[in-house]
Amino acid sequence: MSLIEIEDLTFSYASQHEPALRNLSCSIEQGSFVGITGLAEAGKSSFCRLISGYIPHFFHGEFSGSVSVAGTDTRETTIGELAERVGFVFENPFDQLTGASLTVLEEAAFALENMGLAREEIRLRAEKSLSQVGMEDLADRHPQQLSGGQSQRLALASILAVQPEIFILDEPTSQLDPLGVDEVFDVISDMHRRGYTVIVVSQDLDHLAIRADRLIVVDKGEIKWDGEPRKILLQAAEARYPILIPDVLEISRKLRAAGRISSDSPVPLTVEQAAKELSSIEERGSATETIAAGRTSRYLPDSRAERSKELVFQDVHYDYPTGVSAICGVSLRLDEGCVCIVGQNGAGKTTFAKHLNGLLRPTRGRVLVRAKDTREYRVAEIAREVGLAFQNPDDQLFRGTVEEEVRFGPENVGTAPEETKRLVTSAIDLMGLEAVREKKPHDLGLSERKRVATASVIAMNTPVVVLDEPTGGQDAEGIELLGHLVGQLVQQGKLVVVVTHDVRFAARHADRVIALHQGRVLLDDGPRPVFGRDETLARTHVEPPAVTRLGKLLGLDETLLSPGELLAVLAPE
Amino acid sequence: MFDYRPGSSPVHLLNPVTKLAVVVGLMVIVFLLPNLWGPALISVTMLGVAAVAGFLGSVVKLAALITGPLLVAVVLIQGVFYPGNETPLLTVGPVTFWEEGVSYGLLVFFRVLVVVCAVSIMVFSTHPKKMMVAFIDKGLSPKLAYVFMASLQFVPEMQRRARAIMEAQQARGLDLKANLWRRFQALLAMLIPLLTGALISAETRSLALEARGFSRGGTRNHLIEVPDRTSDRVIRWSVAAIVVLIAVWRIVL
Repeated sequence: MSLIEIEDLTFSYASQHEPALRNLSCSIEQGSFVGITGLAEAGKSSFCRLISGYIPHFFHGEFSGSVSVAGTDTRETTIGELAERVGFVFENPFDQLTGASLTVLEEAAFALENMGLAREEIRLRAEKSLSQVGMEDLADRHPQQLSGGQSQRLALASILAVQPEIFILDEPTSQLDPLGVDEVFDVISDMHRRGYTVIVVSQDLDHLAIRADRLIVVDKGEIKWDGEPRKILLQAAEARYPILIPDVLEISRKLRAAGRISSDSPVPLTVEQAAKELSSIEERGSATETIAAGRTSRYLPDSRAERSKELVFQDVHYDYPTGVSAICGVSLRLDEGCVCIVGQNGAGKTTFAKHLNGLLRPTRGRVLVRAKDTREYRVAEIAREVGLAFQNPDDQLFRGTVEEEVRFGPENVGTAPEETKRLVTSAIDLMGLEAVREKKPHDLGLSERKRVATASVIAMNTPVVVLDEPTGGQDAEGIELLGHLVGQLVQQGKLVVVVTHDVRFAARHADRVIALHQGRVLLDDGPRPVFGRDETLARTHVEPPAVTRLGKLLGLDETLLSPGELLAVLAPE
Repeated sequence: MFDYRPGSSPVHLLNPVTKLAVVVGLMVIVFLLPNLWGPALISVTMLGVAAVAGFLGSVVKLAALITGPLLVAVVLIQGVFYPGNETPLLTVGPVTFWEEGVSYGLLVFFRVLVVVCAVSIMVFSTHPKKMMVAFIDKGLSPKLAYVFMASLQFVPEMQRRARAIMEAQQARGLDLKANLWRRFQALLAMLIPLLTGALISAETRSLALEARGFSRGGTRNHLIEVPDRTSDRVIRWSVAAIVVLIAVWRIVL
């Protein structure tokens, strides 16, 4: 018998009519690493909650079928008892800490204290689990002073201390920066090597597929595909199923289909594997010609002076009241197209974004928004020029329906009723929210809530739109929608500023990329020149997109930005 | 400004329960003592204790902030209007200050001063977690202790969230300086996300606590050891004895 057995399970939450899981059967062996992916609201979290017993003990509803963990039916036990076998790490890195510890070590020891172990053993086990996630040096730090990645690793450590056999991580990295994502995935892989059974829900297939030994795609509460990650990804790619297929796999698949490489070896999942496979292709087109033939950047550095002045930073400095300098002497002008701001956490990206609409005012220098000095206007006045959508939708949604929520923005800036109606409809349309127009924002999943918040900013119809981490927590469809949105807004002549960690998104949609590092501009140019300078970008912990790295490893003479470009070089028609 | 200052003085090493007993004992004593000399003497002693603990400056600053205005107000008002006024002390123009009133005012001032000093010395010298562990050892429910610890971090966390919400709403054009109806809307736009957010994180947190055996029965233990020494017990019994003695003196004799 397997460690986890789920048999013909159907479950509907008490608050919903549709079942969240339907006739689901699945068994998971001890020591395996199972990746789970799928669209938002497909039932991935519900699947995890079954194993930890949160369903049906915490989330009530209609339950049929059975779940057993190590031979025990989960209905016959309690969450507390199951917790000794099954550890669970949640998406939000902060909400899952106890909020009652003053040091990292205390936090890691919390469960052990409840178990009533001897004091010395509590200390030893807590210290050991901290060292397993590489946090032994932070033991005396206050938990509220940790970064997202560190908080997530602490959550892991505090569960490791209990020594469960099974670890479930539900989107553990969706709210982290790339550095945090790597940190957390490395710890997860390490645990798998130590023999734990690991179940990870993630949209980040670039990281997940290479590590997992089994991938499950959940679709509308059912298991759509289940098997070896490469095989499943190929199936999904053939079916054009909307999950984030790693670019390298997609490139290899298409070259195999075109007969450019033999299909005996397993498809590559990493840039290095792909480079090794593709280096066998000797007959290549010219990268320079490919680029010249394709879409060129709309952003032209030479003609900057002639454009209408939209946003101007003049030697902007910003120091927080604590004395920490977040921005140190930034001078630039943003006029049109899509500008992506990249850089590691703490590089000053969000501080920069808050200067765009006057939420923060420079401590030295000045910011001009369409010739208005932000120091002389209220935020509400600048909001007519610049709409800013923040990262966390739950910091803003408060109305009864999606439509009313989207109307909030235009109402505030005093748009006429007829015009408001039109703008709201078009924003709802652009963000793919027609189906949920009359629903309560809080009944939607995170990715939809996020799109509602974005829609309410779009509906303000401002000449400048700023989006802070719009792709975070989005599934493949959501990211597609956002890309489309950016294109539409740019076409309407708006300036779109996107603060993002998602280099794949930036490479596909940016006309200009600005890399920030320690409050200064590190690079500022079109996406091709910026992503071509991987060594400079590394200083702010930004890695160019997989395709770009692959092109470089293949020794191409130009920087490539999309799989299409690479395919055109490797399989010229 | 009103939180724990790390240290290893004898005051820091006392069991938190002992410190609480002394604070409560002192509160009773200063209100039992009939004239200002007792509370004045205790105040000076308190400052000495603060000096030993190494945070005299902080205690003086806090005490000045809280009791300074009180000193002025109470001495002026009682000095002029105290019902038992008989002996004139000082006449300024039409106003006379009376000895009885001034000394009663000072008595009130020193009583409050003792309480402020004692409480701040306890808070400054006691790690909150140690305080909770000591109380759990004496029979406090671990759940109540958790609520206390969590509430310490709740306020700064809520402030942080409230700031984030205000920024997000202003970015959507919410005007904080508009007419009354708009301001009422602004309040809703702030409170609803704040409350829903708090509920969502409370739900996540309760699961996280549950998963870490928070509600399991049986014995618990603590990472931090809070010893209860003989000296602690001696101090607690002494305080109790002194309180009883003074009470007997004041009430019976």
